[in-house]
Amino acid sequence: MSIATATVPAQAGAVAPAPPGITKRRRRFQDNLTGHAFLIGAVLCFGLFMWFPMIRGIVMSFQRTRRGVTTWVGWDNYVRIIEDPSFWVAWKNTFYFTGLALVLGFVAPFFVAILLNEFRHAKGYLRILVYLPVMLPPASALYLFKYYAYDPGEAGLFNAILTFLHLPTSEWMQSPTMTMPAMVIASTWMNMGGAVLIYLAALQNIPGDLYEAAELDGAGLWKRIWHVTIPQTRLILALLAMMQIVATMQLFIEPLILANGAGTQDSATSVAYLIYQHGFFQNDLNGAAALGVIMLLVLAAFSAVYLRLSTKQD
Amino acid sequence: MSVPQYRKVAALALVAGLGFSLTACSTKGDDGGNDAAGKVTITVDCQPVAAQKELLDNWNADVKEFQNQNPDIVIKSISVGQQCNNPPDFTARLAGGTTTDVFYGYMTDLQQVLDSGQALDITPYVNKDTISTWDSVDPALKEVFTDGGKLYGVPVKNYSMGLVYNKTLFAKAGLDVDNPPKTWPEVREAAKKISAADKSVAGYAEYSAGNTGGWHFTSLLYSQGGRVLSEDGKKAAFNTAEGRQVLQNLKDMRYGDDSMGARQLLQWGDLLTNAAAGKVGMFIGAPDTTQAIVSQFKGKFEDWAVAPLPGQTDLAKGTLGGGEGYFFKKDLTKEQVEAGLKWIAYQKLTPGKGQFDYVRAKPQNYPVGLPQPLLFANGSEAQKQEFDLRKANANVPVENFALFETKQLPIVGEPRDAQAIYAILDSAMSGVLTDPNANVDTLLKTAEEKVNQLLAAGS
Amino acid sequence: MSRTLISHAQLRRGRGRFLYWALLGIIVTAFTLIFIGPLYWMVTGALKSGQELAQTPPTLFPHDPEFTNYIDAWTNLNLPKLLFNTIYYAAGAVVFQLILDTAAAYALSKLRPVFGNVILGAMLATLMIPAMVLIVPQYQTVISLPVLDISLLDSPFAIWLPMVANAFNIFLLKRFFDSIPEEIMSAAFMDGASPLRTLWSILLPMSRPILGVVSIFAVTAVWKDFLWPLLVMPSQETRTVSVGIYAFAAGTPQNVVVAASVIAAVPTVIIFLIFQRNIMSGLTTGSLKG
Repeated sequence: MSIATATVPAQAGAVAPAPPGITKRRRRFQDNLTGHAFLIGAVLCFGLFMWFPMIRGIVMSFQRTRRGVTTWVGWDNYVRIIEDPSFWVAWKNTFYFTGLALVLGFVAPFFVAILLNEFRHAKGYLRILVYLPVMLPPASALYLFKYYAYDPGEAGLFNAILTFLHLPTSEWMQSPTMTMPAMVIASTWMNMGGAVLIYLAALQNIPGDLYEAAELDGAGLWKRIWHVTIPQTRLILALLAMMQIVATMQLFIEPLILANGAGTQDSATSVAYLIYQHGFFQNDLNGAAALGVIMLLVLAAFSAVYLRLSTKQD
Repeated sequence: MSVPQYRKVAALALVAGLGFSLTACSTKGDDGGNDAAGKVTITVDCQPVAAQKELLDNWNADVKEFQNQNPDIVIKSISVGQQCNNPPDFTARLAGGTTTDVFYGYMTDLQQVLDSGQALDITPYVNKDTISTWDSVDPALKEVFTDGGKLYGVPVKNYSMGLVYNKTLFAKAGLDVDNPPKTWPEVREAAKKISAADKSVAGYAEYSAGNTGGWHFTSLLYSQGGRVLSEDGKKAAFNTAEGRQVLQNLKDMRYGDDSMGARQLLQWGDLLTNAAAGKVGMFIGAPDTTQAIVSQFKGKFEDWAVAPLPGQTDLAKGTLGGGEGYFFKKDLTKEQVEAGLKWIAYQKLTPGKGQFDYVRAKPQNYPVGLPQPLLFANGSEAQKQEFDLRKANANVPVENFALFETKQLPIVGEPRDAQAIYAILDSAMSGVLTDPNANVDTLLKTAEEKVNQLLAAGS
Repeated sequence: MSRTLISHAQLRRGRGRFLYWALLGIIVTAFTLIFIGPLYWMVTGALKSGQELAQTPPTLFPHDPEFTNYIDAWTNLNLPKLLFNTIYYAAGAVVFQLILDTAAAYALSKLRPVFGNVILGAMLATLMIPAMVLIVPQYQTVISLPVLDISLLDSPFAIWLPMVANAFNIFLLKRFFDSIPEEIMSAAFMDGASPLRTLWSILLPMSRPILGVVSIFAVTAVWKDFLWPLLVMPSQETRTVSVGIYAFAAGTPQNVVVAASVIAAVPTVIIFLIFQRNIMSGLTTGSLKG
């Protein structure tokens, strides 16, 4: 990631000035030991729960455990996973969700933040409001949507509002076309608070004279957003976009709770849900590991492209 | 930096980094068999949860009584939730080897239990001496827990699907309570009348999510005489006239008559919630669903009755059945296995005791008289005892189940790879129940292709 | 207050002033409806009877409030235990992250031992790996730790330790430490202070805001996580709030589930309202500038 590499200083060398000769070397050795002593806890955790599982995941994806005996099976798990009829549907759904969430969940908080940043009154109140849903346990928020908002009959909150406004009602989670938008709405409602606050912080750092200058140049409201606000918050926007995409690609709890898993006619099946199905319902942890590796490759390819694009702009 | 200080830092980091191993050790349960006093301790799961108050009280009373009778045995009960083999947790316990010594499993779990390498071959232990009613246990049921001639589990319950119906709603709709529908066209008529009598009620309700849709599709298919897989288990066999009939019936009720309610994508708890609230006229299920409706969902058991599963022209040609049992963990001592068997024999397999203690259950808010758990073979000694006791203490009219009990339909088991296939069939069910323009042929064809693909990839 | 997108002057005069107040009014109303509305619906919905809930159009106030749903939820859900677990896991995650990640970031930023950059690189490489990708092998690891062969299932360490492997926090902390002038450090070392002492009495006091941010992130992560605790905490006694409600919902009437959701949300919302000033300022000032 561009941000990361840009801020890691390239300099190396001992911290304290040390006398020359043998003492220096000994000193250096001791400093190294101290340094690694400070590192060891985190390194162990990374090793146990990140680096080792990565290798293990790849190994597992080429094995199969039956009757407590593990054997090498080559590409069998991959073949089984890719030929799983839900495989492509799950990817399609996941990308669709990610895209929709990007439009709604990424753009909306940015404009909400811009709006909130302009107000001189009720600032604290509005901020608390936006952040409030973040404090609900995710399952709580989703059951609220499932039982009350997305009721397919006219008793549901959303349908009641639509009826009141004389608009056509929807069956929400029971309609294959509305499943995804409905999940994105719920997900955005319960998650956007964090992004709004981060944008607000970024907006407050934009020097006021930039707007002043732009206005003197005759730039209207949109032009000012386009030429001042967005370039000034570009880094944060890029970072959050990345984080959001990685997060939404892991879509899981929304389909699990809102759609009871796969949703109507597989319209909610996500890749993460498929991993869960294979690993924990279908007695196929090896297949689930293979699917995890595939997901890793897709995300790696994606971040390579993303890095390429974002460094090009620099 | 001086050496002692350096040591301090390193020690701190090491403690922080590695210290967990010591603490973690202590979190591992230590319930190894015999203690100094010569007592044998076993852990057993599937203890009822607090919400099932009476069942829990009964269980605890059984444990107490059993320990009184067997002072050298200590039973530690573990509750694992309302559904004893909730898949992710069950998988976790198996994979992690954290199952209890004697652990609950559903009949279709045998393969997974064996794959995990956690189950003990109990063939040498199980006989008439360890479980006195063993010879009366239905042989078909024993077969379910047997693999390669070896017995891995003791069956404790058996069920088959029937038509569960709400008598109060039947009466309200002017239907004959004692003469429930025997065919799907009759079900459709009845559903129509029930929904007409009260618009908020689904005359007939059905699952379509969380793998339960596929499960019920299978049951409905069996009632038509169809099968999910071909004889050799290598091909899908449901894209047939029988399969089409299943979906067509549902489609007609859902969109032709609007007698299935607007709320779909139901799974187990959703449907039973609605049923307990008096919003469901009929659904298919085992007799014990009425138990769940009463004990978990606060329904009234007086409302419910169970009839044999309907078929298209007469009663069903077959009905889905299944069973539950207890497995034994692989590293148990001989004494622990024997203690476990003794407990199961006492609590699950003795007429008049434990789950068959109908005298105790009668005054509780808990239906007695259900034709269940059908553990013992027809005509066996234990079966006769159990039946007489049940009849004598019934608090639900036994007539409600008379038809179900006398018209024993042929029981058909679940297909292999059941959960994966059910996940695919969910989609056909949700299609027909949520899309008025759904094409039954297309839905079946898609599902067939998917199942064939799955079977081809899996073998 | 510095100038923002629209100048103050513009908002104080005639049309601008009217527009400002109109917009403010609309936004305050809309946001209240959007963010409090559903919560109101949740609280009152759980007071309605099944019949009333099925009524069309839905009623705005419960006609005859029933508290049975709340009572059922409270008695059957064992919420105090769930809350205790969640808070316990969150607190432990904060402690472990603060100690181990701060130490690591300090080493990488100031002590810079050999291979420090390689280790940092290997850590940052995991930034792009979402939890879902590793869920199965991580789960296998927790079931049986390599070499030690210990199962961490149902142990809080199954949540605490993986949380330490958080490259984002290390990155945040390291960047902050990087911004602390080298001279301060050198001066301390010249005075003979040990690295630990320097960290403790010089760096940490300066880093309070960033430590606050890391803590908030840790708490939120534990609070929001679902699949991981669902998998590694299979017992009823060790569940988190979110997983507890999910498990509870499988066999419970809808209204009771919603009542349980309300009860589960109450403590955190209260905690949030009490500490909102600190949380907000922590999140908005401490981190992620530019």
